[in-house]
Amino acid sequence: MIAYIVNLATLVAIFGIAAASMNLLIGYAGIFSLAHGAFFGIGAFAAAQLALNLTPDLLLAFLAAASLSIALSLCLALPALRVRGEYFIAASLGLQMFAVTVFHEAPSLTGGHGGLAGIPQATLLGIEVGTPWRFLAVAAVTLVLSLLLIQILMRGSFGRALMAMRDAESAAMAFGKNIPLLKTLAVAAGCGLVGIAGALYAFHISFVIGDSFTLEQSVLLQAMVIIGGAGTLAGPLVGTLLILLLPAALTFMPMIPPTEIGTVQQFLYGAAMTLLMIFRPGGIAGQSVGRR
Amino acid sequence: MSEALLSVRGLSKSFGGVAAVQNVDMDLIGGVVTALVGPNGAGKTTLFNLVTGNIAPDTGEVHLEGRPITSTKPHDVARLGVARSFQDLRLFGKMTVHENVMVATEPATWLWQPGGPEAKRERLARVDEALERTGLAGLARARAVDLSYAETKFLSMARVIATGARIWLLDEPSSGLDPNSRKRFVRLIRDAIAAGVTICLIEHNLDIVTELADRIAFLDQGKKLAEGEPQAILRDPTLIAIYFGERRE
Repeated sequence: MIAYIVNLATLVAIFGIAAASMNLLIGYAGIFSLAHGAFFGIGAFAAAQLALNLTPDLLLAFLAAASLSIALSLCLALPALRVRGEYFIAASLGLQMFAVTVFHEAPSLTGGHGGLAGIPQATLLGIEVGTPWRFLAVAAVTLVLSLLLIQILMRGSFGRALMAMRDAESAAMAFGKNIPLLKTLAVAAGCGLVGIAGALYAFHISFVIGDSFTLEQSVLLQAMVIIGGAGTLAGPLVGTLLILLLPAALTFMPMIPPTEIGTVQQFLYGAAMTLLMIFRPGGIAGQSVGRR
Repeated sequence: MSEALLSVRGLSKSFGGVAAVQNVDMDLIGGVVTALVGPNGAGKTTLFNLVTGNIAPDTGEVHLEGRPITSTKPHDVARLGVARSFQDLRLFGKMTVHENVMVATEPATWLWQPGGPEAKRERLARVDEALERTGLAGLARARAVDLSYAETKFLSMARVIATGARIWLLDEPSSGLDPNSRKRFVRLIRDAIAAGVTICLIEHNLDIVTELADRIAFLDQGKKLAEGEPQAILRDPTLIAIYFGERRE
């Protein structure tokens, strides 16, 4: 039971980081990407390859995962510079599908359809951190540091510029904001951070496969942000807790037969999202949207 | 007459088959308030968009203090000291009043602003002053989306004030204001003029135009039909007929 809870808590921390990075794009910059699952995967594969071929050091894995994700984020930044709204969503969807194809069809990089197995336990500055409790501590500290960094950035002029771009791009330009640079920085920051989450995920699961980073993963991350409250610090974490703990909580309800848990879960998700968007469109942790 | 701070020469822009601006010349002289007057669709806002780099002209040039700025990116035009407001305001709705104005004082896009704590104090002082002048100091923590109509208009002005720009391009800044708010708006503009700001405003309220403008440029169907002192322009029966849609010459 304890092992189950520790595993769940570690996943909450990892997906909390991923959702917080998605929130940077959706919540603060107003960039609705459907390719975030792909960058989660890029980080995971980068860390896995590093651990399998060179070293399982977590800091180096973070560096490799973030660097590769940031470098490849230009593929997302380019369409973001040219198109907005639904056109960008379509472009990011294309990128997500392209990435999944690469994950499946490039066995030398990703293990292809079989994925990469046998990822060694992580070390941190020479100390073994692969045990469940230690890894939970590392993931939790990374989550806290990520949220702290986001908080610092968003309270400063960079955060204000991002939010200004989100609310009225042309007005932000009229007040001196270089929109192409802002979008590139936002996409790089969001993708770099989700790359780090991907690295943690690879070490935690010790097996990475392209099927874990499909469009469904991108949508799940978006749901975590929107349900929790886009554009708030706590929102993504609240959404992550809800989405990851709900299925776990359902398994402890004796009145629901184990075979029906999936159905009940889908029903509850659907109902929760619909009701939330009607009665609290800003998300659980978000402010209500109203006019005087 | 002193030299033009901002000058426009032969500016033209077409969208598909529609000539939105045709061969327009215009000078903004330092300390002089110029009103762009004309019926809807005359090309007034397009002219602002061309000057501020939001859209590139087909032909023509824009100079700021003799320096060519044609097709310069909007954020660079802003940094050169040209601030603008929008007809539909384009406030940063989910941000607070204070944040809306603060954004206008922060020129850099990078992770930090230049100048350190001293510059930040100066920017904060500018924000406070802009909020004070527009009567929004008590609403600093309110979200823009929660403001009343008149308050949103003054927030739009507060952002422009806080930039510290020498040239203001104001797109229908007083439209929809009640008489009291309109008086406050006129006072605000007069204070800015006294402080040496050069203003070009698009305005449909001819009382405001008469009260504030030193010169009027009259536009119709993308062409500048006339330019001169308000009394002369507003007494021209042909222009007035065009403005009120009674007759087209």
